[in-house]
Amino acid sequence: MSRKLTVVFLAMLVLVGAMSLKTVVVTHGDGSVIMANGGGPVPPTPWKNGGGPVPPTPWKNGGGPVPPTPWK
Amino acid sequence: MPGPFEYILWFLCTPFEVAALVCAFKRKALRRYFFLNLYVAASLVASLGRFQILHHYGLNSSAYVYFYYYSDALLTICLYFALTSLYSYVFHELKAERYVSLVAFSLLVGTAIFSYSVVQQSSGKFATHFVVELSQNLYFVGLVLTYLLWASILKMRETRTRVIQLVLSLGVYFSLFAATYALRNLYPPMSSLLQALPPLIACFLPMAWAYAFWHLPEEARLVPARLAVVPR
Repeated sequence: MSRKLTVVFLAMLVLVGAMSLKTVVVTHGDGSVIMANGGGPVPPTPWKNGGGPVPPTPWKNGGGPVPPTPWK
Repeated sequence: MPGPFEYILWFLCTPFEVAALVCAFKRKALRRYFFLNLYVAASLVASLGRFQILHHYGLNSSAYVYFYYYSDALLTICLYFALTSLYSYVFHELKAERYVSLVAFSLLVGTAIFSYSVVQQSSGKFATHFVVELSQNLYFVGLVLTYLLWASILKMRETRTRVIQLVLSLGVYFSLFAATYALRNLYPPMSSLLQALPPLIACFLPMAWAYAFWHLPEEARLVPARLAVVPR
């Protein structure tokens, strides 16, 4: 049981590390998540206040141009 | 709509993905590295699907938007499983596959719960927010896991050249994307230049994997001293 708990603890530790790294990487951005935007003024993303241009995603899988966010 | 240059950059990647799959098939590594090949195949299918939908419906259409983001999330999950399978290969001799699976599952569930907690107050399109958030969080989890796997390889003095090549290329791939994104935020005037980089970086992974499958036989071994000497 304690071994399994250790494994889960390790997993959570990795998660904390990953989220910290994410914070460091996006910290100088406008904080908005990630998406390229189409025409027209870009509204703030629903989970973040503040303006500024929305950067494209850094973690593109596969090809293709990045579309605008779907929750305009 | 993207211009010819964007299309060229986009489809530069496709031959490398096909090459990676063909090399894996020819060298009988298709089943052995199943999740890696699954990721490459899924990436190829996603690229073709995106092109088809973009061509029919346009860049701003809902069809393209949803297909793009949902396929991106699926690809990130595939890449996560590919990384987990590399952990299984590295820890195979320690008979720790069960623990690797448990950690991978816990991490996936933990990331999903964390992503849910981030987006739960969003007003609309909750599922899409969740998918995008999960995708990006899983990306960073993958980045950290790859560095940990690098460290494990050094510590355990792993000698299988092909496994080392596959892991190193994955680490470089993750790091380049993160670095490009961070640089673009730090130096906004350079963003137009840096914007051309991600499609080129995307080509790197299938190219490196194709090289690993074709040029490095499964039996090839590195002398540990050439890799690094880390005191046990």
